[in-house]
Amino acid sequence: MTREIYRLEGVSYSYGRYPALRDVDLVVEEGESIAILGANGSGKSTLLKLLDGLIFPTEGTLLAFGRPVTEENLSGGFLAEFRKRIGFVFHEPDVQLFCPTVFDELSFGPLQLDLPVEEVKKRVSDLMGMLGLHSLRDRPPYTLSSGEKKKVALASVLTVNPDVLLMDEPTNGLDPRTQVWLFELIEALRGFNKTFIIATHDLSLVEDLTDRVVLLDEAHRVVADGDTVDILRDKDLLLRTNIIHEHPHRHGDVVHIHSHGPYAGHDEHE
Amino acid sequence: MNLPEWLKVSVPALTPERGVKEPGFIKKNLEEIASLMRWMMDTEESAGRRGLLQTFDPRARILGILFLVVATAVTGNTIGFVSIMIIILLLSYLSSVGITDMVGRVLPSFVFTGVMVLPALLSIVTPGTHILTIMIGTKEIGITYEGLRTAGTLLVRVTMMVSLVALLLLTTRQADLFTGLRGLPVPAFLVTALFMAFRYIFILLRMAEDVNLARRSRTIDHGLLRDTQGWFASRIAFFVERSMKMAEDISMAMCSRGFTGEIKGMDMDGMKRRDYLWLGGTSFVFFIILGLY
Ligand SMILES: Nc1ncnc2c1ncn2[C@@H]1O[C@H](COP(=O)(O)OP(=O)(O)O)[C@@H](O)[C@H]1O
Ligand SMILES: [Mg+2]
Repeated sequence: MTREIYRLEGVSYSYGRYPALRDVDLVVEEGESIAILGANGSGKSTLLKLLDGLIFPTEGTLLAFGRPVTEENLSGGFLAEFRKRIGFVFHEPDVQLFCPTVFDELSFGPLQLDLPVEEVKKRVSDLMGMLGLHSLRDRPPYTLSSGEKKKVALASVLTVNPDVLLMDEPTNGLDPRTQVWLFELIEALRGFNKTFIIATHDLSLVEDLTDRVVLLDEAHRVVADGDTVDILRDKDLLLRTNIIHEHPHRHGDVVHIHSHGPYAGHDEHE
Repeated sequence: MNLPEWLKVSVPALTPERGVKEPGFIKKNLEEIASLMRWMMDTEESAGRRGLLQTFDPRARILGILFLVVATAVTGNTIGFVSIMIIILLLSYLSSVGITDMVGRVLPSFVFTGVMVLPALLSIVTPGTHILTIMIGTKEIGITYEGLRTAGTLLVRVTMMVSLVALLLLTTRQADLFTGLRGLPVPAFLVTALFMAFRYIFILLRMAEDVNLARRSRTIDHGLLRDTQGWFASRIAFFVERSMKMAEDISMAMCSRGFTGEIKGMDMDGMKRRDYLWLGGTSFVFFIILGLY
């Protein structure tokens, strides 16, 4: 039997008067790889922040590992466990990277979670080796290129070795090579029973790396939840939720209509 | 998509220049202040050079400089001033800190202090022997020897203290500064707060520059002052909003990685013989100065 990671029942969230997520029901099991798909502003980031216990539902209940996640509950031992098991790669590396050096950045998480110093050093060194970051060890993260920043941001989460990885638009702004690298890394990690929940509107990522899609519409509701293959095939649904749009293209003298995601798919025509 | 006609027209050639005006003074100043501050804060390069101070443990470096700063604060005689001055010059030479690096950081405080102490020169503030007398109406106002001495001493003292701090910052990478502070009996929250302040200022300055460039690239008429002021106000609002949002996001990013109010770091290696020698030397200077005083 697989373990249940998350259970959301009727979860809503509003920023003051502005609703960002409405009435979400969701069950996530260990080892799943889920895409949270939705247009800009549909509530993807908000959902991830809820799942990471950074904000709390204004309505409904959220369980993680079978326990309710509330502001009072998420403290002490449960908080430490929670943080150890769940890693969040933020949308903007500039926000996520706040330490003075790459080395400090990678060791920050495990040190806060009281891992032994020797173990921390080993993990940091292993990861820097794996991701080719050794030469950047003493550089301040804000001086890195955006691809390097992304790697450091990922590495800084991986040093904690979380079971659940939440990622907010991980391919956004990556050059093709770093993107391939990221896909390979996620694919490799998936082999070890890690759970991935990835907010994105990059359809190639969804297709290659996830087996389930939770689709949010612009009214901040879940409108579909099912197999990636089925949902990607449902063109009407994707058009309706503004994930793809149609526009004519000129190839020589022939003009015909293509479907496009906002990020994915464009390259092949250029 | 139907493009409006005007969007399809491209400008045939560069219009001849009509003496383009300089950008509005506020814009220009903002940009200059931002890059000046960034330059002042960016000490990674000089801190990475090979030099005497750079080889000491950050804790020892901070503590040693602190001894010298306090010594400068209490010294009251020429011998004290001259010997600390020599130490400063020697340290910057041995730590390959260039004159421009130092002057750039010390000059603003020198000018500021200079203006502040000007009134002390006058006989109405510091009475004494006149060395120069000016008649204003029927009143006689003079510059006194005592005033000159007081103002001069203060100016020299402050400038030397600022030079010492500049020397510390110029030879210490930001990272080492904070690990160093953490290794000393400084309250942890203070180090965290200081660190966050540094971090924000840097991002905000970069944002200020970016926004300026973005605007400049769109502007043709370097126009009216009123426009500039309106723009300035809206920028300020934008910055406040952006920095609030950023503060929120960064704190979330920290919480997400297990931060619960106090940054935990690694214990540092013990200090070496040379660190103790340096601390011995600086505290010796400190006590001698105290004795002379
Ligand atoms: N800090 C905030 N304050 C107010 N409204 C917000 C905030 N963050 C997001 N929102 C609003 O909540 C909605 C969902 O945002 P978000 O979760 O960021 O969407 P997505 O990640 O899918 O683009 C949007 O309408 C957005 O404007
Ligand atoms: Mg988002």
